[in-house]
Amino acid sequence: MTALKLLSRTKLYWGLIAIFLIGVLGSPVSSKGNNIFLSYGNLLDVLRQVSTTGLIATGMTAVIITGGIDLSVGSLMAICSVVCAMLLTVPGVTPGVVLGVPTVALVALCLGFVVTRFIFLNLEKSRAGPDAAARDVRLDNIRGLVTPAIVGVVLCCLSLWYLLPQIEPKFGVLGVLLVAPCVGLLFGAINGFIIVAGRLQPFIVTLAMMVTALGIARLTAGQNNAVLPVYTGSNATADFELLRSLVFGVIPMPGLFFLGAILIYGAVLRFTPFGRYVYAIGGNEEAARLSGIAAGRVKIATYAVSGLLAGIAAVLYVAQYRQGKPDAGAGLELDAIAAVVIGGTSLMGGRGSLIGTFCGVLIFGLLSNILQLHNINSNLQLVLKGMIIIGTVLVQERNAGDLLAYLRLPGGQAARKETAASKRPSQETPSLNLGGNKK
Amino acid sequence: MEHRNSIGHGHAAAADRPDVVLSAERISKSFGGIAALVDVGFELRRGEVHALMGENGAGKSTLMKILSGVYTGYEGTVSVDGRPVSFAGVREAEDAGIAIIHQELNLVPELSVADNIFLGREKLIAGLIVDRKASSRAAGALLQRLGIELDPEARVGALRVGEQQLVEIAKALSMSARILIMDEPTSALSPAECQRLFRIIRQLADSGVAIVYISHRIDEVMHLAGRVTVFRDGRHVLTRPMAELDENAIISAMVGRDLLASSQDERDPGGGTVLSVSDLSLSKPDRQGWRQVIDGVSFDLAAGEILGIGGLLGSGRTEIMEAIFGSSDGRTGGVIRLDGLPVDIRSPRDARRLGIALVTEDRKTQGLHLQASITDNVALPLVGSLARFGIRSLAGEQGLARQAVKALGIRCQDIDQPAGTLSGGNQQKVVIGKWLATRPRVLLLDEPTRGIDVGAKREIYDLIFQLARDGLAIAVISSELPELLHLSDRILVMADGRQTGILSREAASEEAIMRLAAPRRTLSRPAA
Repeated sequence: MTALKLLSRTKLYWGLIAIFLIGVLGSPVSSKGNNIFLSYGNLLDVLRQVSTTGLIATGMTAVIITGGIDLSVGSLMAICSVVCAMLLTVPGVTPGVVLGVPTVALVALCLGFVVTRFIFLNLEKSRAGPDAAARDVRLDNIRGLVTPAIVGVVLCCLSLWYLLPQIEPKFGVLGVLLVAPCVGLLFGAINGFIIVAGRLQPFIVTLAMMVTALGIARLTAGQNNAVLPVYTGSNATADFELLRSLVFGVIPMPGLFFLGAILIYGAVLRFTPFGRYVYAIGGNEEAARLSGIAAGRVKIATYAVSGLLAGIAAVLYVAQYRQGKPDAGAGLELDAIAAVVIGGTSLMGGRGSLIGTFCGVLIFGLLSNILQLHNINSNLQLVLKGMIIIGTVLVQERNAGDLLAYLRLPGGQAARKETAASKRPSQETPSLNLGGNKK
Repeated sequence: MEHRNSIGHGHAAAADRPDVVLSAERISKSFGGIAALVDVGFELRRGEVHALMGENGAGKSTLMKILSGVYTGYEGTVSVDGRPVSFAGVREAEDAGIAIIHQELNLVPELSVADNIFLGREKLIAGLIVDRKASSRAAGALLQRLGIELDPEARVGALRVGEQQLVEIAKALSMSARILIMDEPTSALSPAECQRLFRIIRQLADSGVAIVYISHRIDEVMHLAGRVTVFRDGRHVLTRPMAELDENAIISAMVGRDLLASSQDERDPGGGTVLSVSDLSLSKPDRQGWRQVIDGVSFDLAAGEILGIGGLLGSGRTEIMEAIFGSSDGRTGGVIRLDGLPVDIRSPRDARRLGIALVTEDRKTQGLHLQASITDNVALPLVGSLARFGIRSLAGEQGLARQAVKALGIRCQDIDQPAGTLSGGNQQKVVIGKWLATRPRVLLLDEPTRGIDVGAKREIYDLIFQLARDGLAIAVISSELPELLHLSDRILVMADGRQTGILSREAASEEAIMRLAAPRRTLSRPAA
């Protein structure tokens, strides 16, 4: 019984292993007798390919855990890829510069302010000792407002001092790695702000942003669907090649970013108050708000980070495909959502993990790779992928029994009862109160 | 007594009595190991109003949910017209002529009266198009037959609660219900609306409908019902004709042990004033703009004092707490002083910082994250305060949870157990524990014993007294008058959003509270 439970709890990993084994066993063999799927080059390719989706799925996971959704990530990535390619290849004041540089300055200002305040707050907390834990500490105006503001302005000036000289020639690697994520962050924060302040459905707001951002990307690029080619060494700095290289000859740079994002964000969700709030909001937003949690700020932050990661993904995309274009991220939001859901994160919010998303992304990537290795018609690939998403989620959420029961097939009832019992503990506790069903 | 004896016999006995339309025999039901009903019987005759009474948690609602097909897994037999039945869902129960009207109404506010009555059974033209005229006509005829003056075209959301109740009744009868279960139908009604409802109930009974009437209000039950059944702690206590019983007999049957003779003791509520509220008002956004939900509320609350807040459902009790706690999305007016200093509370965050805690009425939707552990729930408000440089203090959080479990006697396997798997009383203790961890000075409790069983209730009372003794300033809302009288040093009564009086302990009685709580006129609501 416990073995069965263990199996059930770890089924995502088993799924990953299973798909890996399918890949190995079903792989075509090269003329030298090597297993192509298992070859180092192929596995590196998989990691490379999933990195973009993976970064976006990472940001998406937190958004979905709060009970939201971010449909705009594909378009945000498109904007950022256009800005990035433009900064790399076109000298002088371009739409990319107009959009990017002020954004960085703004982000630097806010970041300086927030981080300084945060440090002061925690210093104050340490000074106040553990007994004051129940009360929030307060800062006086000097440390609470003035100093953070000064630090913000300084940071803002520093960023401008760093970026402005890069406009006339072209931007370097670090320059675009600064600008593109900041642009993503800003748009993501706008998403979050509208959702929170306007009390609108995340679906609608990010859908609107998806359309708006695509338009902005096209306007920035100049002509409809203009592709901005990036040739490192000829029209862009040769250093940019670094972003598609193998680090230490082992792991591709995009993969490193993806793994780094998973690890860092995973740690944030696990070990920081912010992470705890993300789960609390998804679990019961009203209860979280009534517990005195700034639910709005937390939600804005998740969308902002989602945008930030889309921006990073955009830079890697430009490096990978040597171009920036407005349809760079088309359909990516759906791949990301699928990976998150396969990873066991509930679209209802409150439940999920980045490890799950990591597995989901890999399952998705390995699957594509296997289908490609077998030269399966790309349209058929789409059909198979769709079916596998449904299948995985049915197993993940333990709803396969429900489905059978609905169709009145054998084996359904028992499974259904089990699902109900395990998924809805709230209704299994006695709700003996008289007017029990308050909405 | 013969009525009582018929309970528990086989259904053959019921078949001998043609007037028994519904009977339940030896019904047991438990939730996750906790028994909600133990071997109870119930029988309903054609044309009678049968009152079902009992404390919260006595099992009334559970039985009614079984009879109306909401719960499908139980032990025992339910028979309709002497034939055993087993409903697989609400729909089948409706087909058998059983309809239930829940305390919280199940109407679609945006639809008209007629549309609501025929929801799911729309009158169609050619099987495709909704025939609004026909349904409006049919609804009109039905309402007229019941003597209800309502426009079938009116939007349900624009009706008063009492009128919505009547729409529910019409809806039930439109399904040709022969058995009507009403769960606390008068809890939100004005006296005039109650009278109209009683008239209609009697009329229905005369026409042969069998009615199960669940209520806490003994006076109205004595007035209305022919027979009464009392449950206590999931067991059947008695079934008798109303005429054989008086109020005290019913109360002692319901309570069994003397619940309220617990530890009301010599506290000294004479500490200094902590919270002072003057001329508090709250307006909430409405379709027509801003609607004032409370107005002119003023009171002082001293350390160690327990202030009860009474009034009917919807009289503005909860809104007082929302306004103080900053959790409402409306506009507040008036002045709130803490230790004599005016404070500006715009969010629960502000309130928490000032040392004000609110235990909300509905712990499942407002108080707890049911899937999360006890630790996560208790520590939630303090996660940020305990963290150092952005890293959570897991040890600190667990410490808070252990402290709460120990101090409040929360019965659980361990502190990592999901809150949703606890019993109602223990869930409530988790919510209270969460707030006590923030070391508040003012504790606002909104229906703290709602939906928890009798034993746990007593523990909560003791806890409240203990907290007051420790110097907390406490305000308690309760719909149960005996509870309110038991707990409070003074009782503030609300009616229609206005404060109608503050009763001292000596002056307070159920009658005095009800007199003040009776609604007079709605305030500043545009005529519907």
